[in-house]
Amino acid sequence: MGSKYLVKIVSSVVALVLVSLLWVLIVSKPSDGQVARSPLLGQPAPAIVTATIDDQPFDLQRRKGSWVVFNFFNSTCVPCINEHDLLVDFAKREATSDNGAELYTVVNDDSDDAVRNFFTKNGGDWAKLKDENGAIAVAFGVARVPETWVIDPNGLVRIRVTGELSEGLLEAQLDKLREEFTS
Amino acid sequence: MKTRKSIWLAMFLLVSVLLAFGATRSGGPQTQQDRIDLVTSHLACPTCSGESVFVSRASAAEAIRTEVARQVGAGIRTDDEIISYIEQRFGSEVLLVPRSTGLDSLVWSLPAAVLIIALSLLVSAFARWGRRTPGAPSVADEALVKNALAESTRVGDES
Repeated sequence: MGSKYLVKIVSSVVALVLVSLLWVLIVSKPSDGQVARSPLLGQPAPAIVTATIDDQPFDLQRRKGSWVVFNFFNSTCVPCINEHDLLVDFAKREATSDNGAELYTVVNDDSDDAVRNFFTKNGGDWAKLKDENGAIAVAFGVARVPETWVIDPNGLVRIRVTGELSEGLLEAQLDKLREEFTS
Repeated sequence: MKTRKSIWLAMFLLVSVLLAFGATRSGGPQTQQDRIDLVTSHLACPTCSGESVFVSRASAAEAIRTEVARQVGAGIRTDDEIISYIEQRFGSEVLLVPRSTGLDSLVWSLPAAVLIIALSLLVSAFARWGRRTPGAPSVADEALVKNALAESTRVGDES
């Protein structure tokens, strides 16, 4: 085999690899704003059995038939503090609408007292779930807070929003899902 | 000379036996803590850079360690299944050792392929160089040699 052929073959292989990488970059879907991907999307939600910080039992399995929103929260996390007013508005809106979602705060690496004080000061009367040893966070693959997840009435995970919520994002995504679900 | 050969042969046999033993011996029974350490050392801390769950003190890593310990304690899943469980939640970024299937397998196969190709090219280049023989002398070469011989004969006669 002559060196000319060898050069041609090596150049072709390098060009093929570069074109493939470019193709992957072009066809890969960009992240849709804050709505993030997760292997759990479309899958049954992990089994969550815990208690609220007021020691009321909670079993996600028993919430089937309702839209459930989990907001992973820590009272010292700045984006969690920033998005809190949006969550208060969201909870009010859902409480008054038909087929409204149930909002739950999942306490992430924080003390019950700190969470209780935060909600007393900033409002929000929804349930706050204990997450012993971060088991719920691991079950959902949450590494950083805040994260917000939506579970449909069939118990399937439908939306994952990473980071601070932007105004109207959760409402818009949830309305879209509800429309798809009823149609 | 014969003794030296025997020593080399004995050393070769000893190394072969030790290698075969090392490659095939079983790890023996593991404690639960061994399994937890092994699994967590294969997982990357999702909130730190370059640290495994085994060494990291971050709260996310601690949560994963606790979950791994819980699953090892329950005894339902194998080590690979526990790693897959964490991967299914946090994505493949959480794996410190790439999988040997799918696109990740390129990490293992490409270096081997490059090594094989490079060695083949080297062998073929050496073989080509070994076969290369000097070509037949040209008419000009022969004339040059004839002139040089004639010149040396003339110089010899004069002296």
